[in-house]
Parts: sequence; structure tokens; C-alpha cells
Amino acid sequence: MSSTTVPSSSGAPGSADASAVRRNSKRPKYSKFTQQELPACKPILTPRWVISAFMLVSIVFIPIGVASLFASHDVVEIVYRYDLDCIPASNRSNRADKVQYIQTPGDKTCNKSLTVPKRMKPPIYVYYQLDNFYQNHRRYVKSRSDQQLRDASSEGEVSDCKPEDMLSNGSYIVPCGLIAWSLFNDTYSFSINSAQVNVNKKGISWKSDREHKFGKDVYPKNFQSGGLIGGAKLNSSIPLSEQEDLIVWMRTAALPTFRKLYGKIEHDLEENQVIQVSLGNNYNTYSFNGKKKLVLSTTSWLGGKNDFLGIAYLTVGGLCFFLAMAFTIVYLVKPRQLGDPSYLSWNRNPGWH
Amino acid sequence: MNPLSLASKMGPLCLVLLVSLGKEAYEDWKRFQADKAINNTHVDVLQDGRWAPIQWQKLQVGDIVKVKQDGSFPADLLFLASTNADGVCYTETANLDGETNLKILMALERTWDYITPEKASEFKGEVQCEHPNNLLYTFTGNLVHQKQTLPLNPYQILLRGCSLRNTEYIVGAVIFTGHETKIMMNAMNVLSKRSTLERKLDKLILALLATLFVICAVGAIGSATFINRKYYYFGLGKGVEAQFNPDNRLMVFARTMLTFVTLFSTIVPISLYVTIEVIEYIQSTQFIDKDLHMYHAETDTPALARTSNLNEELGQVEYIFSDKTGTLTRNMMEFFKCSIGGEVYGTGMTEIEMGGAQRTGKRMEMHKSANAVHEKGFNFDDTRLMRGAWRNEPNPDMCKEFFRCLAICHTVLPEGEDCPEKITYQAASPDEAALVIAAKNFGFFFYRRTPTKIYVRESHVEEMGKIDDAGYEILNILEFNSTRKRQSVVCRYPDGRLVLYCKGGDAVISERLARGQDDLKRITMENLEQFGSAGLRTLCLAYRDLNPEIYEGWNEKFTWAKKLLEDREKKLDEVAELIEKELILIGCTAIEDRLQEGVPSCIETLSKAGIKIWMLTGDKIETAINIAYACELTSNDMKQFIISSETDSIREVEERGDRDEIARVMKEEVRKELSKSLKEAQHCIRSASDPKLTLVIDGKCLTYALDPNLRTMLLNLSLICTSVVCCRVTPLQKAEVTDLVKKGARKITLSIGDGANDVAMIRMAHVGVGISGLEGMQAVMASDFAIAQFRFLSDLLLMHGRCGFLSLQVITYFFYKNLTFTLTQFWFTFQAGFSGQKFYHDWFDSLYNVVFTSLPVIVFGLFEKDVSASLSKKYPQLYKEGMRNSYFSWRDVAAWALSAVYQSLVFYHFVTASSSAGLNSSGKMLGLRDVGTMAFTCVVVTVNLRLLLMCNSITRWHHIAISLSILAWFAFAFICSLVRGNLYHVVHVIMSTVYFYLTFLLVPIVALLGDFLWQGVQRLFFPYDYQIVQEIHRHEPDDYTGAGNLHIRSHLTPDQERNFAISLLPRDTSKYTGFAFDSPGYESFFASQHGVHAPQKAWDVIRRASMRTKPKTLPKK
Repeated sequence: MSSTTVPSSSGAPGSADASAVRRNSKRPKYSKFTQQELPACKPILTPRWVISAFMLVSIVFIPIGVASLFASHDVVEIVYRYDLDCIPASNRSNRADKVQYIQTPGDKTCNKSLTVPKRMKPPIYVYYQLDNFYQNHRRYVKSRSDQQLRDASSEGEVSDCKPEDMLSNGSYIVPCGLIAWSLFNDTYSFSINSAQVNVNKKGISWKSDREHKFGKDVYPKNFQSGGLIGGAKLNSSIPLSEQEDLIVWMRTAALPTFRKLYGKIEHDLEENQVIQVSLGNNYNTYSFNGKKKLVLSTTSWLGGKNDFLGIAYLTVGGLCFFLAMAFTIVYLVKPRQLGDPSYLSWNRNPGWH
Repeated sequence: MNPLSLASKMGPLCLVLLVSLGKEAYEDWKRFQADKAINNTHVDVLQDGRWAPIQWQKLQVGDIVKVKQDGSFPADLLFLASTNADGVCYTETANLDGETNLKILMALERTWDYITPEKASEFKGEVQCEHPNNLLYTFTGNLVHQKQTLPLNPYQILLRGCSLRNTEYIVGAVIFTGHETKIMMNAMNVLSKRSTLERKLDKLILALLATLFVICAVGAIGSATFINRKYYYFGLGKGVEAQFNPDNRLMVFARTMLTFVTLFSTIVPISLYVTIEVIEYIQSTQFIDKDLHMYHAETDTPALARTSNLNEELGQVEYIFSDKTGTLTRNMMEFFKCSIGGEVYGTGMTEIEMGGAQRTGKRMEMHKSANAVHEKGFNFDDTRLMRGAWRNEPNPDMCKEFFRCLAICHTVLPEGEDCPEKITYQAASPDEAALVIAAKNFGFFFYRRTPTKIYVRESHVEEMGKIDDAGYEILNILEFNSTRKRQSVVCRYPDGRLVLYCKGGDAVISERLARGQDDLKRITMENLEQFGSAGLRTLCLAYRDLNPEIYEGWNEKFTWAKKLLEDREKKLDEVAELIEKELILIGCTAIEDRLQEGVPSCIETLSKAGIKIWMLTGDKIETAINIAYACELTSNDMKQFIISSETDSIREVEERGDRDEIARVMKEEVRKELSKSLKEAQHCIRSASDPKLTLVIDGKCLTYALDPNLRTMLLNLSLICTSVVCCRVTPLQKAEVTDLVKKGARKITLSIGDGANDVAMIRMAHVGVGISGLEGMQAVMASDFAIAQFRFLSDLLLMHGRCGFLSLQVITYFFYKNLTFTLTQFWFTFQAGFSGQKFYHDWFDSLYNVVFTSLPVIVFGLFEKDVSASLSKKYPQLYKEGMRNSYFSWRDVAAWALSAVYQSLVFYHFVTASSSAGLNSSGKMLGLRDVGTMAFTCVVVTVNLRLLLMCNSITRWHHIAISLSILAWFAFAFICSLVRGNLYHVVHVIMSTVYFYLTFLLVPIVALLGDFLWQGVQRLFFPYDYQIVQEIHRHEPDDYTGAGNLHIRSHLTPDQERNFAISLLPRDTSKYTGFAFDSPGYESFFASQHGVHAPQKAWDVIRRASMRTKPKTLPKK
């Protein structure tokens, strides 16, 4: 008989001699990967899981929220908006007058007094807060030269700094660019019962900025000597790494409303104490209707006064608790048995099968 | 202009482009090298009476070349001479059609001598032939040699791309070179399939581009209104660049628009295409090709994904168009019964009969009689015909004619030693081989064929036990084709007797019988019906004694027709008609064509999955319906609509023979039938809740039904029906029907077939599947996926298709992740004066897609499985989610978009709001970079966790990929912090604040809360089917079906296998009887596609005879 195929009954590679046959056969090798049999965890989002997850979130979040809120409430914060108060009443009526006032040279100091609402423990941070000031505008953000700031030899790296890159005579401005040019120049000094309160201006910038981004041997040059004066002038005998106001200013803010650290007061301020503030109102925010605020604030472990995190945590925690409860009730009132075949679509419409 | 540094923006894009560019360039280079190598290959050409090697590229038409063993043919050659006896040579055509078996070609007898250089230089001849074309299996031409015109056939043509085997060398004349060769003519039009996914992707990308445009326009308008000299600190003096010049706000708008386009371009996922390609590539090469469930041990064939970009379409198939022979059935024909002179021989029972008997309750003994003879192609149990016992039957002469007819009338080629045990037959179709094998077993052993003679070793003819070798001179072969449906051979006995043997379908034979055989005819027809209902394929045998004068007269006409250049086939048919008449009926044969294993259950599973299965076959209507019953495509409780051309009115018109009249009447009939059926079907739909309807239509009617006017009616009707059977269809019609559904119903279609005749429909359907392992490779070469058995279709579709489809969620995920990311940037724009300032650093932006979020998506796409493989087959209904397209609908996309908007708002506002005051006890403030980095951290973490929320099955790869991505981000952030730049020490700064940790905990949870809540609610109240299935089987451990143990399953005992097969058998037998001879495999696909008749050629015979399965030798111990 010319049997060419092996009958199925006797032929196909059996397990005993499979290995011998398999060497030449095209039989794919078994592996869990190719057979898609990798051990896998198959989570099923049962109501029990949903409820537990929500409960877990609420259990974790509510205490964090409470703690954050407490921390935030412990912080004593004095916010004083002075941009209007510090302009003579005659110039307050419209923007042009205000701008004219601020642009007129002369002493624009104004004295105000603030009452401490609660005892403030040192360090008390002094911030200025600007509003409607777009430090995050693209034209503004890029108008700086990090090389120039860091390295005295890179003085000429001013390509990004236009129009504050060089003077009309061609000498470079250090620090160049719009950010430095528009350096905030209001000043604050405090006194309690005529006794000067010292404002420590050391260590208000991030250490990494101070040490690595601003050079110890880079000195201001030709700064604010052009036609238009944008803001503060810099002492050209102090290296940039010690010009902390500049360093703080040049870490541009993310949002158009921002606070920047001005200094630290290292004295206790007692409740109901009255602080006299002498404000040097020099900075022009009047052109663009920007507010200026002086902020005195203590900190907690969380930082400054910021209710947002606490409220967010509490809200989410509460919401999750509510959802857990709702799910539980729904689950008790209208349960769906797990794996009930009657829910299968082909069982639901009997017309199908 | 550009807010980004060029390098960071272009980097990833360039990377993607470079990779694909490099790949292309490398492939081109390799192709160039290969071309060069081929062009410079040497071949021996006859020059000045000796062989001289020249380069292939210098070869010219008319050159005489010598090709040595294992050499490739440098051009299309006319085969002149070979070192083998009988002027034959063996070629391998693997390059041409992928078939690995050797083809035997034969030179014209007149040119056999030109084998030496001396002789070959004397060769003078002229070849007249057709123009170069791409039809591989046809060739029409003449050789004018020594003033004689000799017709040329495809089997004298050696095609470029083939190579010579088992022959020392051959000599040939160059006919076509270079681009005129058939292989090159074929290479020109390569069809590529575009997956519907790509089309959908394009739409999605368009939607994203529209979104991009809108947000850019919003930003640009904002910018134009925002910019104002009052912000003196922007230095908007005279020389300010146009983008910020408040004096020309239109310019500001235009310039800022451009800035925003680059800024928000992250919304368009460049890496999506690459990701999808990677996923699909791994899916097809690792999962489909190596799936042990789809490995067929008997033929040693694993599945093969030939294209990788159609995986997801496998999960959405709604219509399957299946071939019958070789696809649903095994195409392993076994001679089972016969009827000689009205007497039925063969006592076996077919599986269909046994299945029927079991259902009616009769207990069938499954014993095999000791006398049963069983070998491949022969399964016959009746001692009355064996070992010469037929001499004692009532009609021994009839038996003798029957056996001789079987042994002589065929186009089979024997191969191997000429002893009955060792010989193998190369046949056009398995039916032919089965018949010759049957003759051998009855004692008429055909062992040798020369171009003019057939040698048969006949036993017991003169007297019991005597063996004679007889050589029958073959005078003419009237070949089979689908119009003739019969095959005849005129032969001369050694004693000079001239006989025409003919075999063919019952209808064609019965109308050519001589008068006066009514009784025999009636009984034989009854037997035929009986065989038919048992599921057997039948064939009638007849002969005619010829008068030498009549024959000579006819032979002249025949020789003349053979030499015609035009209409040769048609004329040959007409001439054949003249002699094939007044036949004497001998009897009929019955061949069993068994269903493939597991076909009915596979079809049941697939139809439960909501897939409609159409059977398209070249077989007779009765055969088709019978098989349809057998594989449960139809059953007795289904309503059947039969549109057949075999009605009285049509027959009447056909007899009159007026073609226009026939066409008109046919069309009218078809229209009437269609509208009647449609009305009825619609009525059924309305009245019964779940009607089951079947449409059966034959090829002739289909021609008219596909008419543009009737097309819609046909489509509507067939879409209502649960199954459709089209019989008597040509390959082209198969493709047309596929196209009808593909275009008309806009559903995903799949065609499955095994033969050359299925190539057209395989190409036409969205997904083409070829059955590999048995018949030729042409279907496989045209297919997108190749599997060994029809039953593997359920694995391919329900499991791999579903997985492929599930991985579509990658797209929506990409959409979500890019939208979320871009929107946070967009919200920032509102608070940054619409200036186009980046919220994140350039590098974060560019690496977001490529590094921080790429790996988990790939892992997800690869491993996502909602239910295990066995469950997806246990609940085939789950497959319907793919058809409903439930993971990629616009509603779904909208939901993701909503989630993206919510999350981006959370990211932006939560992060910025919590950064408004001093952030640790040192009271220092954070800057833009710090806040941006913080927000980016939240985005990366959340987006990766969101992926985890999507997963239904989480492997350790998920864990690794997700933790790697998040870690990569932190590592990158630390590296950035070490480099002096505007990110210097940013991470150190933010990580020194409590705010970082609190925000880091809060933001991802808040962002994911919405999605988590929705998933919980959805699962509780509106569960998807797969979720219920997951729940039902939640306690079951993973079913490791132990594919490693799969081979044990194929080790059933024969009885077990038989029982299994019977258990799968149909529950109804059809009322139809009679099986046909017509096997669609007979006709060359290319020929019929172009409307050319290509009758069976010896060459063709060999080509198709690829049943040569290698004997498997088991190691002996």
C-alpha cells in the first residue's frame, strides 16, 4: 500500500517521543507569553471594592485636611493693600494721574500703621504681592541671560534680552533683559513705638539660585542707565549672588498674581501691637491697574496661610465618604448579584438566541 | 516664533521618521544588492557551438541557454531538451506560487535531441506566441520547426522564478526576458489592504486637528486683545517684533496662531502609529503565529499571520465567506462505493449515514469488517470486487470496462517505483487520484505513463491469478473543464480495439448515452441519488467503441483545432462534442469527502457570536445544500429560499437556445423570485421573533441577481438570512458576492478558502484567511492569515480577534492622554497673557509621549484580555461587542474627552491654587518652573495610573512598565536638576516642600475620582456582558488549558475520534440527493478570472498535485 500519510490514530507526535519529533517540527514552543497565559491579577470592581476604596480615601484624607486647615489657621497673616492709600488723594481719580504721580521723581514715602491681630512668632516673613503682573508672559520670561548672570565672562550673551540688552553706545547691560530691568523697587521699613524693627534680607532666596545661578564675580553694569527706568537700581559694587532681591525677582512667578519674599522680621509681634510701616512707593503698577500688597505672615509646617489644601482634602474626603455611603445604600436597596447570568445581553432580549 | 527649542521638538519626530526612513533605506539597499546580484548571475548561452557564460542582464530573446541542476531560470524559456528520458524535467515553483512540490514539465518530442551544444546550434525555429501577460498558467503559442507548426502548451514553458531540480541540465530558448516575464508581470500590481482602523484613525486625527485649530484660534484671539503697551515691563517699544506689536493686532493674531500650533501640537499623537504597529506586530508574530491552539499536529502547520495590521478587524468580523472543498471538508477523497451495471458495491456507511442512524435511535455497531481495505484515497469494503472475485459477478465484462475506465481515463502521473505499495500518484484533484487508487486495488494497476502510452498491470483478466502488463496507446485526451464537466480518453488496445472512455457528471453523461439503456440508466440514477444522500461525491463512467474510419475523420478535425491560435479551447470543445456521444453507461463511483474535524461546532460557535456564514462553492446545488446541512449552516426548521436556474421555465427557454431570450427570461425569473422571497422574509421577520432563514442561490441566477437593478434586493434578502449558500459560482462571482456585502452592508467581511479559486474573494474581503497545509499555496499567498483547519477560525476570531480589538482602546487612551496634557497647557495660556509661554519645560513636553507614557500602553495593548481564551470561546456572544464597535465609538471618544477636560482642569487649578502662598516653613516662594514641574509630575503619574484603571488583567509586565515610566520621569527630573539651566535644582526645591507631597497625594486621586466613580456605577447598574462573565468565573483560577498538553487531545483512539466526529454530525439530513463531480479546483483561477477558458493541462495537473505529504517516520526504539 502506498501509504503516504500516517493515519491520525498512530501518527501524530506522541508525548513520549514528542521531543524527538519536535526538533524538526514547526510546532511553536510553549511559553506563557506566546500562549497569553501570563499570571495576571484580574481585579473586578465589585461594589465592595468601590466602597472600600472610597472609605479608604476618606479615612486618609479627612485627617490630612483637618491637620492642614489647623496649620493654615495657626498662621497669622496681615495683608495690606497700599497702592491706592499711598497716592495723594488728588491723584487718585484716574489712571493717568496715578501714573503721572508715580513717574514723577521725588520722595514717595508714605507712612501707615498696621495692627497685629494675633501674636506672631518669628520668623515673620515680609512679602510683597503684585496683581495683574504677567511675569509668566513669554516675552518677559525669556528676556534674560542665564549665562550672563552666572558667569562674568559671558557678559555679551544678551541675544534674548532685547530691548534691554545694551546701551545705545553698545556696552552690555548686566543683568540684561526685561526681568531684571523691571525689578521691584518699593521699600518697607517697620518700627514699633518708634523703635526700628530690623528686616533681615539675607537668605530670602533659594540657596541653589544664590550659589549656582548668580555669579559671585558678576557685578551690575550699565544697569538702569538707559532712557527708561523700569524699576530698582542695583549697587554695582555688590556681586549678583548677593543681590537677593534680584534673585528672588528673577525666579519668575507662575501666575499673574504672586507674592515674593521681601525679608524676615526676627522679633515677636504681640497681639494688638501697632506697627508703623514706612512704604517707599516707587514701583509703577498703576499703568496696568495692578494692585500692590504688603504681607506679613508667619509660617507653619505647611508654609504660609493657605486654606486650599485643607479644604480640598476635607471636601474630597467628605465626598468620598458620602459616595461610600451612597453606594452602600444603593447596594443594599437594589443589589445586583455578582455574575447573574440574566444580565447577559443575550439573556435579556429573549429574541436573540 | 517657536516657543520650543528646535531640538526638543524635532527630536522625537525625527527619531520616528529616521527609524522608518532607515528601515526603508536598508530594505532598498538590500533590494538593490539583490537586484545587482541577480543581474550579474551567469548563465550558459550557446555561442559558436559551445556554452559560454554570460550575465543574466545581457540575455536576449532567442538565445539558447543551458540551465544546470538547482539553477534558476533566467527568463521565461521554451523548454527544448532535457537530460532526463522522455524529455521531462522537474521544477520547483516556490518563488512563483509558494508550492514546494516539484512540477514535471515536458518538452515537445520533436526537440528532445537538442541537448548537446553541437546539436543545439543546429536548432532553427520560430516561436509564435501571445503577448507577454501575467497569466501564470496559460500559454498559447506555436513552434514552427522544420516547416511544421507544433502547438505549445504551458508545460513547455519554464518560467523565470522557478528552478531546476532532479535534472542534470536542460536546454531552452529564451522567449520573454526581464519585465516581460510572467513573474514580473505579476509583480506589478500589488494589492494592499487598508484597515478600517486606519480610516477611523484618520478621522480621529482630523478631529484632533480641528480641536487644535480651535484652541489655537482662541489663544491667538486672546493674545491679540491682551497685548497692550500698558504692560510697560514687556518693553513694547518701537522695535518690538511683530508678534507682540500692539499696533498691528492682526499680525499678532497670525503670528501667535503659529506659535500656538507648535505649542499645542502635542495634541496630535505622533507616536500612536508606531505604538499600534509595535503592538500588532508582536500580536501577530508572537501570539497568532505561536498559538498552540491553532497548531495542527497532523500536517505540522502552525497559524501564520501574514499581515499584522488587520488584527483588530478580526475582532469585528460580521460575515464569513467560506469555500467548501478543502475548507469545510477535508478534500481527502476516498473511494467509498460504486455501482456497476446497476449493482451497488461497497458496504460501508458514511459518517453522515451513521449520524442519521444514531439520531433515529438505531444502535450501530462500529465494527470494521476484516475485509475492508483502507488506504489513503480508498476505503472500500466489499469482497465481491476484490482479488478478482468480480469475475463471478453477474456482469464481469461491465466490471472490466469499469476498471479499465478508472485506470485509463485520467491525467494522473505516477511517481516512484512501479509496485503498488510504493507508487504515488500526482493528480489534478484528489478525486482523480482516488479513482486511480481504486483501480489499483481492484487489480488494474496503472504504473507508467509515457506521452503516448499508459501502462496498466492487469490481474485476473484472462483467468484468475494471471497478471499481464498491457500498454494502451493514448490517442487523444479530451480534457476536463467546467463547461464540459467530463473528461474523455481515446485509446487503442494492444489488440487494436479503439475505445473512448469518458467520465463526468451524471447530467452530462446521461444526455450523451446511446439509446436503449433506460433500465440501466434508471437504476444507476437511483443509486446515484442514494449515494448522494449519504454525502458522497458521484461520477458516471461510460465508454464507446470507435470505428477506425470515424475516428480518423474526427482526429483530423481535432488536430486542426489543436493548432489554432485563436479560440482554440472553444473549437476543441466543439470537436470533442462530435465524438462524445452514443456512450454506453458502465456505472458510477462514489467518493467520500469528509468534513473537517470540528467544523459544525466551530460554525455553531461562530454563529452564536453573531457572525453570519456564507458558503460559496463551485459545487452543485444539491451537494452544497447537503454540506450545508452537515455543517449546520441550515436545518430543517429553517426556512429556505432557493433561487435556482434549474426550473422548468428556464430550462424550456434554454432549450430554445436564444441567448437574448434566455437572459431576459432568467433576469425576470430571478427578479420575481427575489422579490417574492424578500417579501416572505420580511413577513417572517415581523411575525416570528427569531426567524431562521437560509438563502440558496446558484451561480447562473447570481449573475443576474448581481445586476445593478437587483443588487439591493439581493443584499436586503441576504442580510435578513442567517446563512446563505451560493453554489456553482465562479471565483470572480465569489469575489463579487464578497464585495456586495463589503460595500453594500458596510460590515467587516472575512473570506476563507484553500484553493486558487478562492484567491479573488480572499483579496476582496477585509480579512482574507487561507487554509494552509493541504492544497496549493496560492490562497495562502493571497491571504492575510493562514490557518491549517477551519475550526481554528474560532480561536482566530474569538480570541485573537477580540484581543486585537481590545487593544484598540490604545487609541482612545492616546487621545485622552495627549488631550489632558495639552489642555493643562491651554488653561495656563489664559493666565499667561495668551503669550504662548510653556507651562512645562521643552524636554518634558517632547519626552512625554516617547518616554514617560509609551511603554505601559504597549504592554496594555499586548496583554489586555477581559476574559480568558477559553471563556471567550465559551461565551461567543461576547464577540458582538466588537461588531457594535463598543470601544471606539464617537460616544466613547467623547467620554474620554470629557474626562480629559476634567482632569486637566484638576491638574492646572489644584497645582496652581495650592502654590499661591509660601510653601514651607522657610517662607520662600515657588516660580513658574517649579509649578510646571509639579503639574507635570501629577500628569505623568495620573495618566499612567489611569491606564491601570482600564486594565482587566494586570500582569507583572504592567507593574514593571508603569513603575518604569514613573521612575523614568523622576530620574529625568533629577538629571535635569543637576544640569545648569532653568531647571537647575527645581526638583530639589519642590521636594523640600510639604506642599509637594500633599499635592502629589491629592491631585491624582481627585483626577481619577471621576473615572473610578463612573466605572463603579457602570459596573453596578449597566454591566457589560464581559463583566458579568468575569464575575461568573471570578473564583475560578486562570484556566491554563495547558496548551503544553494539547497534543494529548489529538491522541484519541480511532473509535474515540469517530465517536467525536459523530457527535458533531448534523441533526438533520437534507432532502437533497446526488453529489457532483465538479470540483472548482479544476479550473485555473487566473484563466477564469479573465474570462478565458483554460482546460486542464498536464502541467496544471502537476501543479495542483500538492498532496504530497511527507511520510512521517517515527523514531524507532
